Amino acid sequence: MTINFKLLDALRKGRTEHENHLIDGLVSGRVSRREFIRFGSVLGMSLPFLGSVTGAVGLGGLPAPARAQAKGGTIRLGMQVPAAAIEPVKLGDSGGITVLSQTAETLVLSGQDLVARPALAESWAPNADGSVWTFKIRKGVKFHDGREMTAKDVVASINRIADPANGSNALSALKGVLSAGAARQVDDYTVEFHLDAPNGSFPYALSTDNYNAVIVPHDYDGNYESKMIGTGPFKLESFTPKVGATFVRNDDYWGGEVLPDRVEVFFYEDYQPQLLALQGGQVDYLKQIPILQAAGIMNDPAIQMLPIPSAAHAQVHMRTDKAPFNDKRFRQAIALCLDRPKIVQGLMRGQAQVGNDSPFAPAYPVTDKSVEQRQKDIAKAKELLAAAGIAEGFEITLTAEKFIEIPEYAVLIQNAVKEIGGKVNLNIMDQGAYYADAVFGNSPWLDSDMGITNYGHRGVPNVYLTAALKSDGTWNAAHFKNKEYDQLVDSYIAALDVEAQREVAGKIQRLLLDETPILFTYFYDYMQAARQGLNGTEATAMGHVFFQKAYFAA
Amino acid sequence: MLKRIALSLVTLWLLSVLVFAGGRMLPGDVGRAMLGPFADQQAVDLLNKELGTDQPLVVQYGQWIGGILQGDLGRSYAYRAPVSQFLGTAALNSAKLAGVVFLIVVPLGIAGGVIAALNRGRLPDRLITITGVTATVVPEFVSGIVLILIFGVWLRWLPISATWPSGAGFFTQIYHLILPAIPLVLVLFGYIARMARAGTIEALDSEYTRTAILKGLTYPQVIWRHVLRNALLPTISVVATQTVYLIGGLVVIEIIFRYQGIGSLIYTAANKKDFPMLQAGVLVVGALFMIATTIADLLQASLNPRIRFGSTTS
Repeated sequence: MTINFKLLDALRKGRTEHENHLIDGLVSGRVSRREFIRFGSVLGMSLPFLGSVTGAVGLGGLPAPARAQAKGGTIRLGMQVPAAAIEPVKLGDSGGITVLSQTAETLVLSGQDLVARPALAESWAPNADGSVWTFKIRKGVKFHDGREMTAKDVVASINRIADPANGSNALSALKGVLSAGAARQVDDYTVEFHLDAPNGSFPYALSTDNYNAVIVPHDYDGNYESKMIGTGPFKLESFTPKVGATFVRNDDYWGGEVLPDRVEVFFYEDYQPQLLALQGGQVDYLKQIPILQAAGIMNDPAIQMLPIPSAAHAQVHMRTDKAPFNDKRFRQAIALCLDRPKIVQGLMRGQAQVGNDSPFAPAYPVTDKSVEQRQKDIAKAKELLAAAGIAEGFEITLTAEKFIEIPEYAVLIQNAVKEIGGKVNLNIMDQGAYYADAVFGNSPWLDSDMGITNYGHRGVPNVYLTAALKSDGTWNAAHFKNKEYDQLVDSYIAALDVEAQREVAGKIQRLLLDETPILFTYFYDYMQAARQGLNGTEATAMGHVFFQKAYFAA
Repeated sequence: MLKRIALSLVTLWLLSVLVFAGGRMLPGDVGRAMLGPFADQQAVDLLNKELGTDQPLVVQYGQWIGGILQGDLGRSYAYRAPVSQFLGTAALNSAKLAGVVFLIVVPLGIAGGVIAALNRGRLPDRLITITGVTATVVPEFVSGIVLILIFGVWLRWLPISATWPSGAGFFTQIYHLILPAIPLVLVLFGYIARMARAGTIEALDSEYTRTAILKGLTYPQVIWRHVLRNALLPTISVVATQTVYLIGGLVVIEIIFRYQGIGSLIYTAANKKDFPMLQAGVLVVGALFMIATTIADLLQASLNPRIRFGSTTS
């Protein structure tokens, strides 16, 4: 590795302290190239600039954009029918996100690699403590009705979802991060966000991760379905609720030429017909298939599987305030019964990453990989049980929602616990019954002694760390209350610096591994499929699908 | 007749109470079910207020039934649009699919049953009976998927999706409905053929048929005038009850073949706690059931002088 110090010095000029600190990290090898790009982009350094720095350090620049491909063609997308109306403020289901992502965009794109990239914002930068972030809005972006997008639209869109009076689905993501009115216009192309507390990963809160944060005209009237006026690569042609939609190319798109002429979307009520339609050549792309269902087409040579590594997982919480789970040795013993690599292979057909009982998934660049991986160890589990004074033949109840692989997972846990002489009674219930009112005292999810809950993907682990585990967390099903943990999480969230984040992440991982309030045994891939020959598609594990650079190979 | 209509209306009213109460007995409130477990409580409360689902059940029922009496079926919770908009299309779609199925299965089933009866105990009879019974026990989701694999994926002769492109003409619509109709034809064929066969045999064995033969009528005359007329009475009521199955009960077929009919409309509405949609759907199917059975009774009456003239002797 040869470092071009002269070039590096030139690049460092005029950079902030945070940014230079990150560059130091890269030069000294404490920060990897991938982390450098991810954190540099969060701090607001542009990708070409980051590429120049990695180039100067001798790690190679960023790959050049793919060669231009032929324009034209229609892409037919098959997907589960959206659960509700397509309405950016309220929408909360993956199907709705897919449809919305054709026409509307966020300021920041958190892509498949979880790097925050500029979309409708050109650049951004935090103040010294990360409590105020300034976003430069891209110039010359046009809404589908021909008007130019300006800071006014951005301020209105973000304040709209942060205002409790609008009942936005984004409220839970923005809680403690951004309040109504906190987005302020500086000039036509500059917006300041005054946060509730310093936050080192704030750009993710305005990225595709927070799918409600799309920019729509400032005078948006709440009826999105009729025209779908956004800034996206495609414009609405027709939309029929429960049936499908068609979109046509937006010739004024800011992000370069849009390749396909049209996108046709077909809604399905179930997965099996989608798989058949893909095999029968009636659709070109399936936006999501549960891994268990995908097994049938994995070996079809005419089909390509497109897995996206994600942080989606099933949490197994244990009530840390109720016997026998109130003894951490008991919780550890349960955790030691599980053979994680086997679960990944058997339950998830290998399409998942092994978890280590903390929400820091391997997909996250900040995850401290030096933390020792927990493995199946029956002898140690029995020792812990004996130490906790719990005799063989103990009985516990595992409550779980009926959702994709979760019932099978519950049975695996039941069998695993048998090995240490425990009896697990299963209580598998319908999703509606499991979540019920979703408040403490009236929800098996939050009240059960031990339960399994599915969590969707997030680009950063912040929500898992706070809502599911902090003492005052609204989804703290484990009833985990630990002051040291709370402090660590607060400092993790405030950290603006990759090394500081990683250091705290390691501490949190070790603390959770020791306390084991929740079992995280695997993080499963988000699985998509397309027919062979369709290239250039991009997607997120949240449900966004981007076809602007998609084309069929001749 | 009037008594009958009044009775139907009472039944429909009872149905409305049952479906209203039944849906709401499920755990979890509407706003929560729609926004999901991870939505903020404020957002949930706001939605419940908007939809009126925070009001007492009696008030909600009153508002709903009041609307129905004025011809307003309500607004879908999930899609924020009038239910009638969805229900109208779905009912029309269901009627189209049912129509195609009936056009195929009724002549086929009756012909099969009559042929089997006329060849009682011989090869054609066994063939028809066994085929019918076998086909009836194959569930639609099995035959449906096998048919898709053969004709859609492998041969690619027929479209897999029953939903035709918008603006498609009559023949294109029929073309899209052939594949989904076949599993239903398979299920119903055996049933109708068996009823037709039993009825025909009974009529063939009866004394009036013997009399007809003995008084010198030709064989076709006997079959046509005396046997079939009597043989088909029970078949008609079977067909009538199946109408409702074809319109409201095709959840599986509609889902496999991606078709927006009433069956899948009710099914998804129930899943999503979209009560106005669920209630209106169930009421429409209930009303169709009443209408179909009434029509069947009238048809029976026109074929059967005993019913027509109100005689009580059997």
